[in-house]
Amino acid sequence: MPSKELPERSEIVIIGGGIIGVTIAHELAKRGEEVTVIEKRFIGSGSTFRCGTGIRQQFNDESNVQVMKRSVELWKKYSEEYGFSFEQTGYLFLLYDDDEVEEFKRNIAIQNRFGVPTRLITPEEAKDIVPLLDISEVIAASWNPTDGKADPFHSTAKFALNAERFGAKLVEYTEVKDFLIENGEIKGLKTNRGVIRTGTVINATNAWAKLINAMAGIKTKIPIEPYKHQAVITQPIKKGSINPMVISFKYGHAYLTQTAHGGVVGGVGYELGPTYDLSPTYEFLREVSYYFTKIIPALRELLILRTWAGYYAKTPDSNAAIGKIEELSDYYIAAGFSGHGFMMAPAVAEMVADLVTKGRTDLPAAWYDPYRFERGELRTTAIQMG
Amino acid sequence: MRPLDLTEKEPSRKVTVYFEGKAYEAYEGEKITVALLANGIYWLTTSTEGRKRGAFTFGPVPMVVNGTRNVNARKTKVRDGMRLERQGYGDFQETVEIDEGKPVERLVVDVAVIGGGPAGIGTVLKVQDHLTVALVEEKGWLGGDLWLKGLPQKGFGEKSPQEVVRELTGKFNENVSVFKGTIALGVFDKGEYFLVPIVTGENQLIEIMAKRVVLAVGAVDNIHLFENNDMPGVFRRSDLLEVLNVWGVAPGRKVAVVGSKPEEITAELDRWSIEYIVVPNPKRVEGDEKVERLIDTNGNVYEVDAVIMAEGRRPDINPPTQAGGKLVFKHGYYTPVLDSQHRIRDGIYVAGSAVSIKPHYANYLEGRLVGAYILREFGFDAEPCIHAERLKEYEPEAVQVQSIDFGSLNLEDVQICGCDVSLRKVDDVVRSGITDLQIIKRLTHLAMGFCQGRFCLFNGAVVVSQRTGTPMDRLDIPVARPPLKNVRMKVTAGRD
Repeated sequence: MPSKELPERSEIVIIGGGIIGVTIAHELAKRGEEVTVIEKRFIGSGSTFRCGTGIRQQFNDESNVQVMKRSVELWKKYSEEYGFSFEQTGYLFLLYDDDEVEEFKRNIAIQNRFGVPTRLITPEEAKDIVPLLDISEVIAASWNPTDGKADPFHSTAKFALNAERFGAKLVEYTEVKDFLIENGEIKGLKTNRGVIRTGTVINATNAWAKLINAMAGIKTKIPIEPYKHQAVITQPIKKGSINPMVISFKYGHAYLTQTAHGGVVGGVGYELGPTYDLSPTYEFLREVSYYFTKIIPALRELLILRTWAGYYAKTPDSNAAIGKIEELSDYYIAAGFSGHGFMMAPAVAEMVADLVTKGRTDLPAAWYDPYRFERGELRTTAIQMG
Repeated sequence: MRPLDLTEKEPSRKVTVYFEGKAYEAYEGEKITVALLANGIYWLTTSTEGRKRGAFTFGPVPMVVNGTRNVNARKTKVRDGMRLERQGYGDFQETVEIDEGKPVERLVVDVAVIGGGPAGIGTVLKVQDHLTVALVEEKGWLGGDLWLKGLPQKGFGEKSPQEVVRELTGKFNENVSVFKGTIALGVFDKGEYFLVPIVTGENQLIEIMAKRVVLAVGAVDNIHLFENNDMPGVFRRSDLLEVLNVWGVAPGRKVAVVGSKPEEITAELDRWSIEYIVVPNPKRVEGDEKVERLIDTNGNVYEVDAVIMAEGRRPDINPPTQAGGKLVFKHGYYTPVLDSQHRIRDGIYVAGSAVSIKPHYANYLEGRLVGAYILREFGFDAEPCIHAERLKEYEPEAVQVQSIDFGSLNLEDVQICGCDVSLRKVDDVVRSGITDLQIIKRLTHLAMGFCQGRFCLFNGAVVVSQRTGTPMDRLDIPVARPPLKNVRMKVTAGRD
């Protein structure tokens, strides 16, 4: 995907070329809209580049479950059509006490209501799925075999390629510096490579959303802050050793799985910030080793090859801000995904494309209302991990 | 004597090991890889994609030792009756011993010196009268690359390199704590001090808190790109010197020396009367389980049983970039950007071949120079300018960047990285228009394996540069992330 010349004008401009920006562009272009993505580095270079691979429908509220149900349908469809890997290897939440089991029973009921086939299973069943697990303290597990994983960079690249095929323009190494606004209307964007004329802008910059909102002069309070989260990868081991994403709240909010290349990848809840710093810390190395080896003892003898960090663009209720900002026409935001944006992208793209082209959507967009923070209507905190 | 022994070994240390069921002679204190080489065994492991690999070039060497899988054969010493078997890269130990691990130890010092070569030794000797020092060396010996040499080195007189090292390190006083066989996981800024977590050979995690850090981390051998350059029987320069001069074992009966700096190797081979041929233009090595012949670009065939890459060395840029340093391209390699006092930033100094390629004695002087800067920072009298003046007598050596013959090489067979990354894989991505090394990493897995790019990132940059015409100094080199060296998860898993 070589960088292209900045077009003089475009009906719609998406700021941010991560998985969210690219899937929105893909959806709009597919519907025949004229759309340009402006990315300050390369496509997929931000949090998408550093993301952990997981795609799950096991949420604890109706809206996120519905959105993720749709998203998984789209992951399936597009991975087959575009030829990238999306493996439905499931998500396995390990549960250690009665309170956890009760909470998950409630979540499972919501999930089942919308057709997500999650089940409460026994520790022995969990061990059948991941034989390396230590189940001595596990009393049950929440298991949905239709959750899965995909490579964030490869899938973003495939969506980008096909967005271009539908006529979208993806402009790399181009940074938005300011908005051109007249009488409350967007006229264009100023970039480090010149001006692009447009009337419609979508802010899909996640960790940098605040900055773009400031450039647009948005007064509405949309609190999105960057937090440092870290990940680890071990030496590659035999494929199929750890198929699903395994999650343990008890052990440090850990999530771990095996990549297509064979390494065991994952992280823990350990969070630093708000910060834009991305240097991996020694404390994380200690935490992740302690928790991972509690969940899967065989990891004790595996070599850690590398750790890295990325942003969670967090909101106060861990739900994104998605919608139209009325004080400026036509300005949309799709940001603040709080650690689970990759998995949501295909459905969010559909939602945003609906809002831009039809002004309404069948997906439960109201849950992600950007005005909820100002109104003091925070949602149930979404399950943030993995 | 075993088939490839160069020296008589101490008979009282003789033990028996079993490789793939067959008994072999070994000697206590020897590493598994060396004991097997002495018996003429080169092929020790198989990569994920099924490529046979030995122990003396890039890539890990996991083996089954007494039934335990995934043991690092490079770091494990032989014991009597030891049963050794080959395994693939992906085999691991599914049932493991669970214990609470060793409690973490802590050590507070004025200066942490990472790297026990001439530069690190120079720093220690300079500061030890006034400051406390922790000297951390990955290898089982001090002296670094100098220790591997068999011939007297410029600046140190006529003494043997080992004599020089023994003499220098014999002067260490009680202010110096020496950690051999020890890796450093990284340098972390804690404001008041730098945290340098280290792991000793016995899997002991020690947190060193130091006011100043010296990266005397040395240089790494360059990997020469030719077909089957990962085959058992291919030696990196430093591995060759180690088997010869530390272990008294030959790489083979007849060897070929390839690369731009054969003279670094041939003098050492002469010393041991090992038959060799210099082949400046290798195209391919072939053999069943190990190197049997080398073919050059003119089609000449040389029957040899080992190939030595004498391609020079380049600074190990991983520790400085992990610690927050920036890089610049000079003399044919990337080197850390230093301020006027050899610092990548406040408190972190770099010395030796981690800065530039030059004689051992110059690296030693540079270590002393850095020590003098540190002394002055702590308020002691020191005269860095004297060392700086003497250091000026040694111009950094230029290292030749290999010109890759894309047209005549079968790129599929040329390995750029020990983790099954062929030159073909990287070249295909570059030719598709992707020239950002970050993306190349992600798409090919280059620099994402066991060596964290130490042996492959440079060649990845060379491919981009030669295919696109972009000068090396314009390329953006990805930074290293902790841990700087691979560490088993159980080591960092211990709770205090």
